[in-house]
Amino acid sequence: MSYEPPITDYDEIVENCTCAFCGCNCDDLDYLVKDGHVVAVRHACRLGASKIMEDMDQRLIVPMVRGANGELEEVDWDTALDTAAEYIAKSVRPVFYGWSETSTECMKEGIELGEYIGAVLDNQATICHGPSLQAVQNAGYPIQTLGEVKNRADMIVYSGSNAMNSHPRHMGRYSVFPRGYFRQRGRFDRTVVTMDPKFSDTAKMSDKWIGFEQNGDYGFYNAIRAVLKGKKLTQNVVSGIPAEDIYELVEEMKNAEFGVLFFGLGLTHTLSKQRNIDIAIKMVMDLNRFSKWGLTPMRGHFNVNGFNIFMAYETGFAFGVDFSRGYTRYMLGETNTIDLLVRKEPDCFLVIAADPGAHFPNGANQHLADIPVIQIDIHWGPSTELADVVLPGSFIGVECAGTSYRMDGVPIYMKKAIDKPETCRDDEWIVRELKERVMKLREEPNVAPKYVPNPAAE
Amino acid sequence: MHYANTYLDKPVVGDLEEAATEGTEKVLHCMLNTGSDIYQGACKKRGSTLKEEYKNASGTCYMDPRDMAALGVKNWDTVLVKTDYGEVVVNAAKSRDAPHKGTVFICKGPWANTVVSHETYCCSDPTYKGVKCTVEKTDRKVLLMADLMRWVYKKYVDETDDDVVENMESLGELPVYKGRKWEDLK
Repeated sequence: MSYEPPITDYDEIVENCTCAFCGCNCDDLDYLVKDGHVVAVRHACRLGASKIMEDMDQRLIVPMVRGANGELEEVDWDTALDTAAEYIAKSVRPVFYGWSETSTECMKEGIELGEYIGAVLDNQATICHGPSLQAVQNAGYPIQTLGEVKNRADMIVYSGSNAMNSHPRHMGRYSVFPRGYFRQRGRFDRTVVTMDPKFSDTAKMSDKWIGFEQNGDYGFYNAIRAVLKGKKLTQNVVSGIPAEDIYELVEEMKNAEFGVLFFGLGLTHTLSKQRNIDIAIKMVMDLNRFSKWGLTPMRGHFNVNGFNIFMAYETGFAFGVDFSRGYTRYMLGETNTIDLLVRKEPDCFLVIAADPGAHFPNGANQHLADIPVIQIDIHWGPSTELADVVLPGSFIGVECAGTSYRMDGVPIYMKKAIDKPETCRDDEWIVRELKERVMKLREEPNVAPKYVPNPAAE
Repeated sequence: MHYANTYLDKPVVGDLEEAATEGTEKVLHCMLNTGSDIYQGACKKRGSTLKEEYKNASGTCYMDPRDMAALGVKNWDTVLVKTDYGEVVVNAAKSRDAPHKGTVFICKGPWANTVVSHETYCCSDPTYKGVKCTVEKTDRKVLLMADLMRWVYKKYVDETDDDVVENMESLGELPVYKGRKWEDLK
């Protein structure tokens, strides 16, 4: 990239804004605003700056509905909302997917609509950290906040996560480089280990890279657990890693004063899925017999954790919650978006602040070509190519205030900095309108009739 | 108005040490991984998904230079990636994380989606990583996002033949719709 002169032509600086990109939720950004647009961002990483200074060419500006010839056409808000509400009200098995890039306030409206219409509510965790959430239910959740990591941690392990590419400020702001209360020398007081089959950009910045083989994570963690329990390894090489290296690593981990394991999609997307995380959590438990250790999933979107916390609080389940029977139900492999789509069950798909077109496998997306898709988003993306109704929302943290949850579960209020385009609406308003319109169209809640095991006996 | 620039035509990749020759293999059997990198993330979240930039950031297969030499491809040549779940044409480029002979990496996005596995094994999460694939050299072009979505899902075209849809007139790098544009609001 060529040299970029600093931006000096701006009207005002809005300080201490929160980044609406990844689970780091950096809350120290300064926006440089001119004529109601953010023209530059200070302190943000490449990803955050890029998102906040969005591409206006592809901004969804007006509500749209597919015309007869298959082209999207501008309509007024009433028509668009009525069309969408009709699709939802008529459906038998609607799925409301997304929510991770909108505010918790908006989810509140969504859950009411979902409960009324008997929908499945799911978020991006289903394709990223879903296995982590399952493992947390299996094995526990030894978590700590990122502040503790900054002030105390002297050993940082990234496993199956490339923080330098997907959470670029994570190392700089929370884990590796910052000076903390007990880690006055910053980077020099910490040991950084990256476990990844790939020699990733994070591995390049680490003291140690453990390049276990593809799908070898489960075996490798088991080997560490065995050594922690005082067993001797019978194989010379486990998952591509020599036994003596494992002994050495375990010794280092035991001697850390405060260690933290950050894990990413490298663990959840490979074959053993949630069992990888199970074993990682159990390894952290074993390590706690010797020293203080914790772990944190590297959550991708700024509010993906928020949806899981919100749903767990409201319904008892973190994601993939099915309301179709009138009570909440959650069954792995059954009430999750990908499985539902692959089985071709849904007959209406509402996607809010998410992009299944860009992130679902072909086998799941094929069903979206057969059913009505309603999109609430801020940018024209691959999902818009499959959408029948498009409702332009507003940008949380820039054009609209809202609450989000950081990857460690700390809620952060994201403030508004500029006004949204006049033809757009807040996500919260859109979902509330949809809810009210659906309730008018369908006066009774859409849930299965009460199940009576033996009708004759009643 | 002067905006700070976050745009980039193509991801920065290293030069290949040896000039591409004919290659020794027609088809390579590899392990396919997908995931995000910073170029793909920056472009996707800015919203520039219709642009050439997204095609280059997301529709690129990062390979080990030895694998590239075996196939006889240079940076930004096109390759055809096939799995049990589908096939897609993507760019080839030298991986920044090489060496990883026998493993290829495609950033997540509509291109990777056509070849990854939707199998969740009852765990909610499709298998995005560790899918067996074959890679071969091709003359076909990498499709832009809108064209690719039309080619794969055919939701709003009557045509059902893959080859015909692939060669239809491109939908271009700007949204196609009837209605007010951003400029009209000012």
